[in-house]
Amino acid sequence: MRPFEYLAPSSVEAAVAALAEHGPGARALAGGTDLLVDLKHDSVSAGLLVDLTRIAECKVIEETPDGLRFGSLVTHTQIMESDLVRRHAPAMIDAARTIGAVQTRNLGTLGGNLVTCVPSLDSGPVLLALDAEVTIAGTGGRRRMPLGEFFVGPRKTALQAGEVLVDIVLPRDSLGKPCSFRKFGLRKGQALALVNAAAATRLDGGKIAGVRIALGAVAPTVIRATRAEAALDGRSPDPTLIAEAADIAATEAKPIDDFRASADYRLELIRTLTRRVLNEAIETATS
Amino acid sequence: MEITIRVNGQERTASVPPETTLLTMLRANLGLTGAKLGCDVGDCGACSVLVDGEPVNACLMLAAQAAGRDVLTIEGLGDFQELSPLQEMFELFSSFQCGFCAPGMIISAKALLDKTPNPTAAEVREALSGNLCRCTGYTKIIDAVMEMASRGAAESERA
Ligand SMILES: Cc1cc2nc3c(=O)[nH]c(=O)nc-3n(C[C@H](O)[C@H](O)[C@H](O)COP(=O)(O)OP(=O)(O)OC[C@H]3O[C@@H](n4cnc5c(N)ncnc54)[C@H](O)[C@@H]3O)c2cc1C
Ligand code: FES
Ligand code: FES
Repeated sequence: MRPFEYLAPSSVEAAVAALAEHGPGARALAGGTDLLVDLKHDSVSAGLLVDLTRIAECKVIEETPDGLRFGSLVTHTQIMESDLVRRHAPAMIDAARTIGAVQTRNLGTLGGNLVTCVPSLDSGPVLLALDAEVTIAGTGGRRRMPLGEFFVGPRKTALQAGEVLVDIVLPRDSLGKPCSFRKFGLRKGQALALVNAAAATRLDGGKIAGVRIALGAVAPTVIRATRAEAALDGRSPDPTLIAEAADIAATEAKPIDDFRASADYRLELIRTLTRRVLNEAIETATS
Repeated sequence: MEITIRVNGQERTASVPPETTLLTMLRANLGLTGAKLGCDVGDCGACSVLVDGEPVNACLMLAAQAAGRDVLTIEGLGDFQELSPLQEMFELFSSFQCGFCAPGMIISAKALLDKTPNPTAAEVREALSGNLCRCTGYTKIIDAVMEMASRGAAESERA
């Protein structure tokens, strides 16, 4: 790695101030599982790394009046081992356990995963399906936005230069909402998703209510399949309806051909995974 | 910058540039060459060490990020004169061939057994999925960990 300077502030405000003071050459560092790889490959450069891993506020999972709050520096392992997450949003555990291997999950953070904003990021679909919001801090203070607006494009988030992602909040309405996650990769271990998908729904008098479908690795960012959702809400679930919704979801995605899989194969995966996550979420909602 | 880390139970200090990884500090500055440099990007697990009891890729952690924390490397388990029971088990099973993956593999196995003394074979495979071995077929590695677990000797492994 090329030389850089290093700071490890103990508050979000100090981190934001350090990033602002050093300008464009400064970067936030979390678990380093993406950033240090990029620095080693010389695909990004940094004059200063501002290490966020000593900021206590960002390292906890807690219940607040708003809902379930994940500090951005929470690791994937912390999510897997959290009783709060198991109780309120177990699908997040199903997603976390598919990320890398033990060693990467012990270092890699939820915030780092979202900020990389690659289309295949595995924590994205469940969070989108559960209407997650994020808090961003800059020199002007803090602001809140839906996660869907945070994802702007491939490797591009709503973070402005020098801003820090502080936390991710699952709103109270989403806690306990039946949700399912599936990922399909080329191997069982350490494989990026060819497609990943999450669905969340409640049943209201036997009818689908507030359904969300989110898909990863099939478009420039993780996306919601809103037309498929609209086709489902208010209807009684049955296999034909679910299959129709899965077909619609496939039309909302724009998968690419690459060395891992063809676009056609990915479309087939979208249909299959969408059916599965919908069926699983509905089954949980029924029981 | 001056960095102090508790390595295998001892406070160790080195003066290193900020871009030094934990792996480089261990190997180049502290002379602990057990953890290996394989891929250097988080894929192979040859560099695995425990930080505060949890396995991490030492190639993807800055030494500065480990400052003040507890690091265990393969040297902290046992040495040639006196292998730890877990190391002996791998020897008994002839688990390794070239041995390059061994330090990382054994560290990951230790982390698993500390947390889950009676793992299923599936749990062992999952726990070792971040450790690649180019020589063996993994079978004798997994067998050794299962045997270790069934002998319930995990307890005596605690460093
Ligand atoms: C071997 C291996 C396997 C992997 N497997 C998977 C996988 O299966 N699925 C998957 O989704 N990912 C995978 N990843 C990618 C990576 O581990 C995850 O994306 C991880 O969550 C990144 O988090 P981090 O804390 O390591 O981020 P870092 O590398 O520390 O940071 C990533 C980027 O985000 C910025 N950043 C981090 N935190 C903040 C913050 N709070 N505020 C502002 N900016 C911030 C950094 O400046 C940097 O640009 C893998 C990586 C490796 C090395
Ligand atoms: S050398 Fe660190 S994972 Fe390969
Ligand atoms: S024994 Fe050679 S890499 Fe595992």
